[in-house]
Amino acid sequence: MKPLHNRFRLLTLILIGLLLFAGLYGVYSVTVYGSRWVLSSRNLRYREARNEVIAGDILDRNGVVLATTDDDGNRVYQSDADAREAIVHLIGDSEGNVSNGVDSFQAKYLLGFETTLAERIMTLVKGEQRRGDDVTLTVDSKLCTVIARAFGTYVRTKNKSGAAVVMNYKTGEILALVSVPGFDPLDISDDIKNSTSHPFWNRAVQSTLPPGSTFKIITTASALENLEDIQDYTFTCTGATEVMGQIITDYGNAQHGELKLSKAFPVSCNNTFAQIAMMLGDKKLRTTAEDFGFNDNFLFRDLVVENSTYPTGDRTLVDVAWSGIGQSEITATPLHMCMVAAAIANSGVMMEPRLLYSVTGPTGLVRLNLTSKVYRRAVSEDIAEIIQGYMLDTVARGTGTKAQVEGLSIAGKTGSAESSLDGEDVTHAWFVGYIDDDRYPYAACVFVEEGESGGGAAAPIAQAIFRYIQEYFPFQ
Amino acid sequence: MSRSSRYRRSLRKSPDRKLVSVIMLFFFSAFLLIALKGELHWQGFVLAAVVPALIYIATMWLPHFFPADKLLLSIANFLCALGVLVLYSTDLIKGTNYGMQQAVYYGVGILAMLVCILLVRYIRYWRVFIYIIAVCAAGLIALPLAFGTEIYGATNWIVVGGISMQPSEVVKIAFLLVLCYFMSQRRFWPWLVFAVLCMGVLMLQADLGTALIYYITAVMLYYASTGNLWVTGVGLLGGAGSAVFGYYKFAHVKRRIAIWRNPWLDYEDSGFQIAQMLMAIASGGLFGLGLGLGTPTVIPVYHIDAIFAVICEQFGIIFGALILIMYAILILRGAFIAHNARRSFHGLLAMGVTIMLGLQTFVIIGGVLKLIPLTGVTMPFVSYGGTSLVSCMGLIGLLQGVASVNQDDLKYDYEVSHNLHDEDSLPLAPLD
Repeated sequence: MKPLHNRFRLLTLILIGLLLFAGLYGVYSVTVYGSRWVLSSRNLRYREARNEVIAGDILDRNGVVLATTDDDGNRVYQSDADAREAIVHLIGDSEGNVSNGVDSFQAKYLLGFETTLAERIMTLVKGEQRRGDDVTLTVDSKLCTVIARAFGTYVRTKNKSGAAVVMNYKTGEILALVSVPGFDPLDISDDIKNSTSHPFWNRAVQSTLPPGSTFKIITTASALENLEDIQDYTFTCTGATEVMGQIITDYGNAQHGELKLSKAFPVSCNNTFAQIAMMLGDKKLRTTAEDFGFNDNFLFRDLVVENSTYPTGDRTLVDVAWSGIGQSEITATPLHMCMVAAAIANSGVMMEPRLLYSVTGPTGLVRLNLTSKVYRRAVSEDIAEIIQGYMLDTVARGTGTKAQVEGLSIAGKTGSAESSLDGEDVTHAWFVGYIDDDRYPYAACVFVEEGESGGGAAAPIAQAIFRYIQEYFPFQ
Repeated sequence: MSRSSRYRRSLRKSPDRKLVSVIMLFFFSAFLLIALKGELHWQGFVLAAVVPALIYIATMWLPHFFPADKLLLSIANFLCALGVLVLYSTDLIKGTNYGMQQAVYYGVGILAMLVCILLVRYIRYWRVFIYIIAVCAAGLIALPLAFGTEIYGATNWIVVGGISMQPSEVVKIAFLLVLCYFMSQRRFWPWLVFAVLCMGVLMLQADLGTALIYYITAVMLYYASTGNLWVTGVGLLGGAGSAVFGYYKFAHVKRRIAIWRNPWLDYEDSGFQIAQMLMAIASGGLFGLGLGLGTPTVIPVYHIDAIFAVICEQFGIIFGALILIMYAILILRGAFIAHNARRSFHGLLAMGVTIMLGLQTFVIIGGVLKLIPLTGVTMPFVSYGGTSLVSCMGLIGLLQGVASVNQDDLKYDYEVSHNLHDEDSLPLAPLD
């Protein structure tokens, strides 16, 4: 009977192992994907819960009430229409046109799915209607309004779509996340629903676009990591580089002549970076891009962000050359590019973007407080420092001069990315940058659809953001 | 103090009794809670009385007549009663009458368990009997091929006089008895013929989930009894081959695999069930939405395939994990009984039951959690369905039968070693 018993034991172990595996997998997938499964538009449970539970308030970091519930159970937003429009993509609307707004993505708090048994019994005893938790965001709603207004008033961005993200690069707190055009959640007309500019899209996290020259930050990081003495190497820019029959030119057909990396970065010389990309090769460039979060499955706790891609598989030399300047099927969201700039500012450490400042239960119990978490180390501290110098140069005397703010030292990188939109070739404008000041640890990314020039269209909005921060934000 | 009163007091203190009392109280209050919710429901009051009574009969009263493994009994009965409870709570939302029906099935299940205990305990001469069982089982399992009704892509139901039943569920008991008998007799060919026959019929009916469980149980049993890794490996390879064949042959298998890989892709149509199950589990959170709350009935086939998701939604993930642990304990107890068996037939039978229940649990719970593709097998003891519940209780009956024989053997050893026994009479005839 002995060997029989041994085999019995083995089979029992296998069965128990299978069950254990299933259980662990279940716990894992619910913790990782749970809040994503509970998305409101598809989950009928929340529709029912909305009738039974009073949804909690959404506040900004200064205590401004962004959304609350009135006595009839309707959602009430800010009284100022501009302010409502600026923040509508973050909050969401009651019709569910905007996906993954706080109102739906954080429904488990707002509709009280996380209330403890004791709290439920308390409300039952008191005979009150159940109330969800109040959610305080890290966002400064006034800054959002300022950004939306800047988009609407500047000549080069007027009537154009775009997005802007501002975050604290030390903690990952998101201070502003604006998508233009917005819409008024209280007045959703058919015009808005059928608009070709897609006001329901949250461009900051849903639009994946070629990052253009802002990707040169990553190309530079890869070059500094992999190519020895690249800082001393002299490139020659004749204005056009021919690779396999395709010609890569510079913005405005500029010719930069002989120049080093420290000069090529601020003037954003395409020829130089195409050459660097070819020197690096596809694999090394991709590895660095992946260090910065490309091709990763973004599973941030507070935000649903489209993944950024750096193409995998076999690629030709010309594809690689284009990759060095952020073209050729490389795509990223404005939020992710903001994180790239923030990582450089934060000595190479990329923080996870956070949107929830705190969650407070109906009885005043604080259920959750902001905790900062490192998302990944993108690049070494030394290399980050070198790139910081380049980015400061870019704003001081390069392509990003329009982002300068008196009394602040600003670092940045512009981008003008070629893309096709509805079959037409268009040029999108980018600016990513940060304030090089420990008292104001903030990074920003501005993206303007069909903005033509990063330095011309996007940098001024960044300037407006930095000015606002300088004027209204307390020192940290 | 008299001996009998001391005995009674010790009984009152015994852990089994406390466990069963807690379980009975749990279900009594749970049913009462639902019955009093909103307007009064008379079914709730009936169930609040009947279910604890059934639990008492199965776990406390029946063991008076023969030795039993009470922990195993308590878990099996808890799961059965939980099924009745969850089904009844969804009845109120949907207006169905599953709860009462399931309670009746539960009663029948207890009878089936009793029959199986008696079968294992008192039948000593299987030589002829096993062939009768084999022939009946083969006939029964093939019935749906002739008069079957197709449900969810598989033709595995028959309807007799208004009562629908799933022969492949009931045949499980016979399948194990026959396979274990032939294995214990070391007769490979009749074993193979019967196993292949059953599986072939199931494949013809496109009842692939059940076929899978039959198949792996047979392979594992073969390994347990012979330890021949070569043949076991070949068997597993053959199984993998037929799985690939099934994938290309049956459209509904292909679709299920595609849904499993990404349920959100075709959310509105085929991915709806698994997406809704995942949402239900996630919505429940750690502690659940509460008994009778939530909207579990939006999940297609919530009462059979998805019942684990319904439990997780109402009682929370922690409770779901506890359910898994209960199944694990059930497996451990089953293995323990198999280990203590003196005769290889009994040992293999206990192990076979354990394997079958364990596999079925894994296949359905893994399916609900999107670990493996969802197949239409039932969650043992809990899912709605008379045949499934009756067969699971029958399997528990087989285990209990073996357990009771083990106890008798131990008692016999004890009496012999203390010279209490009349040496001339063996308590049990050896198995034939």
